[in-house]
Amino acid sequence: MTVEIPKRIDQLPNPEPRYIGKRVTRREDAALLTGRVEFIDDVALPRMLHAAILRSPFAHARIRSIDTSEAEAMPGVEAVVTGADALRWQRVSGSSPDGWGGRCPAVEKVTFVGEPVAAVAATSRYLAEDALERIEVDYEPLEPVVDPFAAMEEGSPLVMEANGTNVMMHRVFTWGEVDEAFDTAAHVFTERFRWNRVGANPMETFGTVCEWDPVTLEMTVRGAIQSASFMGLGRAATFGLPTNLVNVKANAHGGSFGGKGGGRGIDIAAMLSRKAGGRPVKWIEDRVEYLTSGGSQAWDRHYEAALAVDADGRMTGFRVTLVDDLGANGEGYGSISAAKPLTAFTGPYTIPAAGYDLALVATNKLPSGPYRGMGPPPHFMVLEQLVDIAARALGVDPAELRRRNFIPPEAFPYTIPSGNEYDSGSYEEVLDAALALAGYDDLLRWRDAARADGRLVGVGVATAVEPGVFDWNAYATVGLPQTGVPEGATVSFDIRGCATVRVGFAMEGQGQYTLVSQVVADYFALDIDSVRVIQLDTLAAPPSFGPGGSRLGVAITGAVLGACERLAEKMRTVVAGLMQTTPETIELRGGRFGIPGVPEAQMSLAQVAGTMLARSDLLPPGMDPLPEATYVWTAPDRTPADEMGRAKSYLTAAQAVHVVAVEIDPDTGQVEIVKYALADDCGTRLNPVVVEGQTDGGIAQGIGAALYEQYVYDDEGQPLTASFMDYLIPTIAEVPRSDKAAVVTPSPFTALGAKGCGEGAIHTTPAAVMCAINDALAPLGVRARETPATPERLWRLISGAGVGASGSTGEEREQS
Amino acid sequence: MIGDRRIRVSVNGTAYEVGVEPRTTLVDFLRADLGLTGTHVGCEHGVCGACTVLVDGLAVRSCLMLAVQADGSEITTVEGLEGPEGELHPIQEAFLEEHGLQCGFCTPGFLMATYEMLTDDPKPDEDEIMEVLGGQICRCTGYQGIRRAVDCAIDKLGGTRPADVFGAGGPEGPDAPDAPDADPVGADGAGEGSAR
Ligand code: FES
Ligand code: FES
Repeated sequence: MTVEIPKRIDQLPNPEPRYIGKRVTRREDAALLTGRVEFIDDVALPRMLHAAILRSPFAHARIRSIDTSEAEAMPGVEAVVTGADALRWQRVSGSSPDGWGGRCPAVEKVTFVGEPVAAVAATSRYLAEDALERIEVDYEPLEPVVDPFAAMEEGSPLVMEANGTNVMMHRVFTWGEVDEAFDTAAHVFTERFRWNRVGANPMETFGTVCEWDPVTLEMTVRGAIQSASFMGLGRAATFGLPTNLVNVKANAHGGSFGGKGGGRGIDIAAMLSRKAGGRPVKWIEDRVEYLTSGGSQAWDRHYEAALAVDADGRMTGFRVTLVDDLGANGEGYGSISAAKPLTAFTGPYTIPAAGYDLALVATNKLPSGPYRGMGPPPHFMVLEQLVDIAARALGVDPAELRRRNFIPPEAFPYTIPSGNEYDSGSYEEVLDAALALAGYDDLLRWRDAARADGRLVGVGVATAVEPGVFDWNAYATVGLPQTGVPEGATVSFDIRGCATVRVGFAMEGQGQYTLVSQVVADYFALDIDSVRVIQLDTLAAPPSFGPGGSRLGVAITGAVLGACERLAEKMRTVVAGLMQTTPETIELRGGRFGIPGVPEAQMSLAQVAGTMLARSDLLPPGMDPLPEATYVWTAPDRTPADEMGRAKSYLTAAQAVHVVAVEIDPDTGQVEIVKYALADDCGTRLNPVVVEGQTDGGIAQGIGAALYEQYVYDDEGQPLTASFMDYLIPTIAEVPRSDKAAVVTPSPFTALGAKGCGEGAIHTTPAAVMCAINDALAPLGVRARETPATPERLWRLISGAGVGASGSTGEEREQS
Repeated sequence: MIGDRRIRVSVNGTAYEVGVEPRTTLVDFLRADLGLTGTHVGCEHGVCGACTVLVDGLAVRSCLMLAVQADGSEITTVEGLEGPEGELHPIQEAFLEEHGLQCGFCTPGFLMATYEMLTDDPKPDEDEIMEVLGGQICRCTGYQGIRRAVDCAIDKLGGTRPADVFGAGGPEGPDAPDAPDADPVGADGAGEGSAR
């Protein structure tokens, strides 16, 4: 049976939907607000032990020996693990580029500060930490390499000697006639950019409770896990277990943003459990561990990029050379952050040719991992600043130059040179909405007047495309399997007509349980309170990946609607049998099944479900009596990558324009955001409150990346940002209020026309803020090309006290 | 390792007399020993405010305070906000209505900080609000929903003290017991079931 999933709200079998598209308050909230939700650190199991991890103080050192005997003898200590156990039970991590990756705890040598070396399970965390002090590790310090350019040089210390190089991957992608575009361009603008390491920092760090039975080898993993099934597959691969021996029960968790990490914490807790006879072992990462050695760090990038522009301001080519410092051994999928820009390489523009020279380099720093946006936010910071450089050089208004190069609405679906297909868009309309909301002309007048008074004020307009609905096809370029990503749901009715939906992902903050309830309630015309959403363990749940890559809203809506369609079809068959007619004559409308126009031939959901459950003898012969159905959704019509990495991968393309006005204090270099307005188009807004919340959160993280946040290492590879005193997360004082306008261009490809929208703002905010800062600095003839644009960096630029590393690292130059 | 110092505290109106190890932080005591896991730990170094609870009416970071320092105090945690029949407190309602939370991990801290602020001053001005909320970190919301929620809570309370919402005897209410005289969990029983 083919399932037609409604692509528009008005295709639902309900003339009066009450929830979808409306501002629905979240059903998750009451439990969260009263402290009732069980986060992982709230879990207490009988005989549970607590783990603590001993970590390397060196960025690069050989481990000569480890003596754990004193720790093991301490009362209350039940198990200790070291690299010897990892060598016995683990395979090398599969989350690194081929030939890279290691085991955990470290075997033979450590390659970054904070790398686990040993771990203890004891009857309390306090005791476990006491025991760490009794473990003796004899290290032979080795010379570290911290700078990726030094790491690429002949004779550099090697992070993994066996590989003979620190370059994990170097690939050159060419899409279209890029050389010709640059050779024939009227103008070429070239610049270098530096994006320093930032990262997710959810307010809850990672944590887990693991049981690994030494007899049955069954492993049960609880934890603050973003993707339960994926984590389970990873653990099974790491330990060489059949996948059905690993059961993951993800807890509701305190944010993730891709950077929850956790695989290694689970590995350690699991091995400790196995050594302790299968007792549950809890490991809760503390914030210092998260900041220095967790899933915290992403995008440590050195860019050189160029834009070719013809005489009338049309962009004809875009080239990017990226040296991406992935840190030690490349574990944790940092590589896919470098590949994701392929899915939106040329942004919202009709640039016909592009090139990407990509080097992934190992250094003695924490392996970099995923973070919200997964790579494009720095990429758009680069592209958008080049557009501004061009606009300034050509004397064209930056908004106008963007408008001239937008993909027009009639060109969708539109395939970009790097291969991905954008589903739909109304880019000019979004631009106009943002400019109107910002009062762009007034802002420019304000800027010019203030500038005339000698103030450093600037206005930035930036735009970006948010690839939505993550799909592995884009990542074949960095060696990952080319597959789709499933999401499933099971919808069932009980004998009273109440609906239960079973899903495989935990609450994380994006309101997906509310979304599921909205969809089921509107499909069957139920009150939202008669829908309940429950989460199952990975071995019981329908296939699920969960949140990630702006996918879950679209994917779970597709899954739930697919299940609703199937269930309705099943119930129609039952009703047709009871009414002695054919299923096609039975209609579901407003929550009742029946023959249209015949009021006495109607049945309620409860009547149909009740008949199925209690009188299966009345059903058509051979019919499954369960009033339930499951549907597993994957993005339709995706393609594997070709030799240039071109794939139809991410299903949706949302777009936004942000307008920012800033003032820089010339004496301190401090940036104040004086105006923030944006318009965005993420298709149908299934719950506008939640969409706006995602935007607000992304703006705050984008402001953090643009102005405050940076993981700093010294020359020896020591992390200098080990607390929230050093790694500066924006507070309410740093995040301005923003005005928002919505444009709605539904996706033609998805359930109800929704697009992925969880990562949009962080794609655009850093670019917009940096464009505004550079507009403010333009009269001084200096340029900020490094994020975060901290007061010190800007003050140095402004005062002319020094450029070098923190200033304009490459003169903006034009060749014609 | 049952604790070697006895302390008497009242938490959300319930009196406890229990032994704790002197090095136990207040947040660990509340979470592990008393099982009040609504208070969260985000940084354990005093910056994020997730662990904020009220000690004798003052908002404190329970990760920076030792349980023994709270001896003799009245403590209110997020579990103490709801009404006797499970009604949400108006501050909680306001966060729900204004999408003042996403993951909800930081939320108990924001609720307690807001509660203290509105106890001190039911009509705080913009500076006061920014000052108080500026001490709490949220990574999800970008603070916009939280800001609206605080305004909404001010409206809902309409000058009523947060403690007076559910009548006398509510959290920090006038009838809250001064000193604990009962030990509902038994002499040393509070340590049972916890790791220590
Ligand atoms: S956990 Fe106490 S302030 Fe962060
Ligand atoms: S709601 Fe997630 S940290 Fe505030």
